[in-house]
This record gives sequence, C-alpha cells and structure tokens, in this order.
Amino acid sequence: MDALSQQQKLTQSPLFRFILLQFICLSLMMADKNSQLTQPLRQGLSWLAMPLIKVVDWPQKLYQTVEIAIARQAKLIDENNTLKKGLLELQLKAQRNTTLAAENERLRAMLNTAQELPIKTSVAFVTDISQTQKRQHIVINQGQTDGVFLGQPVISLTGVVGQVDVLADHFAHVIVITDPAHVIPAEILRTGLRTLAYGHGKDLQLKEVPVSADIQINDVLITSGFGHRFPRGLSIATITDVSVSAERDFQVATASPGVALNQLTEVFLVWPDEQNR
Amino acid sequence: MRPNRKQRALVHLSLLVSLLLTLIPWPNTLQLLMPQWTAMVIAYWSLHDQNRSVMSLAFFYGLMLDILMGGLLGKHGMALVALSFLVLKSAKQLRMTSFWQLLLMVLVLLFNDLIIRLFIDWLSYSYLPKWQDFLPLLSVVFIWPWLHYLLNRLNGYLRHH
Repeated sequence: MDALSQQQKLTQSPLFRFILLQFICLSLMMADKNSQLTQPLRQGLSWLAMPLIKVVDWPQKLYQTVEIAIARQAKLIDENNTLKKGLLELQLKAQRNTTLAAENERLRAMLNTAQELPIKTSVAFVTDISQTQKRQHIVINQGQTDGVFLGQPVISLTGVVGQVDVLADHFAHVIVITDPAHVIPAEILRTGLRTLAYGHGKDLQLKEVPVSADIQINDVLITSGFGHRFPRGLSIATITDVSVSAERDFQVATASPGVALNQLTEVFLVWPDEQNR
Repeated sequence: MRPNRKQRALVHLSLLVSLLLTLIPWPNTLQLLMPQWTAMVIAYWSLHDQNRSVMSLAFFYGLMLDILMGGLLGKHGMALVALSFLVLKSAKQLRMTSFWQLLLMVLVLLFNDLIIRLFIDWLSYSYLPKWQDFLPLLSVVFIWPWLHYLLNRLNGYLRHH
C-alpha cells in the first residue's frame, strides 16, 4: 500500500511530468527530422490548427471583397482597359508561339529527340499568416487532401517560387528558393552552363561557376531539370553581379529572383507527368 | 482551491488568443519585435494556476505552434514545457516578489525559451543566430506587465462569479 502511494506520488510530481514531456518532444523531433513517422500526428493536429488559420485569413479576405465592392467605377474601367491591352499583346505572342512550337516539334522530330511536354499546373492561394520560424516559408491553402506531396515544385507567373517543405491536411508550407537551406539546380539560358543556385537571404548565389566560364550580368537563369524535382526550363532569376571568390578558384554570381516573393497572392503547383513516371 | 469551470475556459481562451496574435501578419519591422505571446501566457498560468496540468497544456499548445509555423514537431513544445516547469518550480517565491523582480525573472525565462529554440534550429539545419532574434525580449518588457494585469483582473473576476 505504501509503495503504491509512493508510486502515485512519483507520477504526480512535476519533475516526472517534465522529464516525460521533454522525452516525448525529443523523440518527436528526432522522428520528424529523420523520417515521415510523425506525418499522421501532424495531419491530425492540422485539423485543429485549420480554424485558427481561417480566423486570421478571413478578415483579410473580407477586406479585399469590400475593397472591390466600393472601388470606384472609373478605376475599374481603367483596370479593365489595361487588362484588355495586356491580353491583346499576349494573344499576339501566343499566335507567334503556336507557329514556333510547330516548327520546334518538326525540328525535334528530325533530330529524333524526346518531346517536351507542357507542364500541368493547378492554382493555390497564399494564406497570409505570419511566420516566426527562421525559415523563408509561405503557406498555401492546399494540403495532402488536395494531393499535394512533399517536394512538389511551386511556381508563379514570373518564375519559380520554391517547393513544398512541410505538409498538413489542408495547408502546406512552401520553402522559398532564397532560403539559405535551399538549393536549386540551374542553367544559364545563354550559354547552357549548368550549376547550382543557393538561397542567400534576399537573393540567390551561384558559388561554383568555373573561372573560365562565360557568365555576365543580365543572364537569365532557368531550371536545369536535374534532380527530377523541377521540370526543365522554368525561369528562376537574372544575374545581377559577378565576382571572383576570395580563394580565386571560382566565380561567384548573385542573382535576383524574378518573383516578388513577399507579395505573392496565388501560386501554381506543378504536377508530374504520368508518362514520365 | 480548485479553479472553477470559467477559469479553465479562460486558460484555453487566452492561449488560443495568443496563438492568433502570433499568426496575425505585421509589416517586417514590427514582425521582428513580436513577443512570444504563447510563452508569456504559459508563464502567467504556470505562475497562478494551482494544478499542474499547465505543463501538459504547454506541451499541447507548443505542438499547435509547431504545426502552424511548419517547424520541427516538438520544438515549441520543448521550449514551453521547460518554461512552464521552471516557473512552476519557483511559483511560490515568484508570487511573493516585487514587480521588477518578477519582470526580470520572466525576461530570463523567455530568454531561455528563445535559446532552446535557437539551439534546436542550429542542430536541425545549422541556423546561426543573429542579434535580431533577441529583439522580441524588448517588447516583452512593455507587454508583460499589461498582460499580467489583464489576466489577473479577468481571473479574479471569474473566481468570484
């Protein structure tokens, strides 16, 4: 009887509970870091987290709706006109593109190379919630239930945004290409030189360009398709600065991304081709 | 003295509000100064709540924060459980001390909370801390007294009704 009450005392003591919870946290972190074991727990808890995100997101949506509702008609007409003008230009471009694409296909057929398929995308909206993490994440409003998977490429109209990093049921965290922990295989469009673009806070850095390589300011950087994460040929950034590294063994180039990464409202998820898989 | 049902509701409500406050987006400069809302609320309840379930609450809301921030699962949990334990241990003394001493202790404990999280970041993806990471402590100095006063009033009101 005495031993039992002592045992009860032990499990009731704050120190015991502290050690137990810390141990659980520690094992959770290790499981989360090294494998996908904690994914079910993450999904379960994300159901509870969803209302909170909605509560923060809702007033912003409301504000946008109200803004449109009370916007002056003249402003809307102006906007309409500029959009029409933009559409006209794009249609002309698209017309030229169809002939170019046909020509390209003929040439490819003559050279007997693989056909490049157009990429399949779907729209996701960016949820504007603040992030205290020391990583550059954006949160999108689609998750595992929408078929999103870890490592899925995310792009916007003007270039690559990043890839899905953390996945929950109804939302996902996308790591942005400028995050210092992110690397993307890149290619310089003008010369075809392939290298890696490291995230560097506000811009990207190409640390491993050979000294002899031809690289200039204003060169366009595209995805090289290596690593089979990102499809080939998406624009990433433009080179803004080229210098030689401190040890004089490499050229170091800085590139600024084409996407205004902190002003995104909608992004596109890239879906893999069934034929290539 | 057991806390009544309304007081329990207040505990959860205040923690939920602290999560929401963490989620609200601010301009970049203000964002750097955002205090650790949830940690402050957890510190308050560890100080004033008699029963020991606060530590489990800290664990649960820590996991929620991790989900919302897309971090390593258990990172905030670990920091908050440690904070709650340290406050609980010295709650009797802390409730007796003067305003300034309490503020100082809370600052030290929240600094500890920051350090734990930065250390985990460093371990998991070799993040190197910057001096800006400690700016939230500045705003804690201004917000803690008000938060303490507000929750005291609410808690006291609910105790008698």
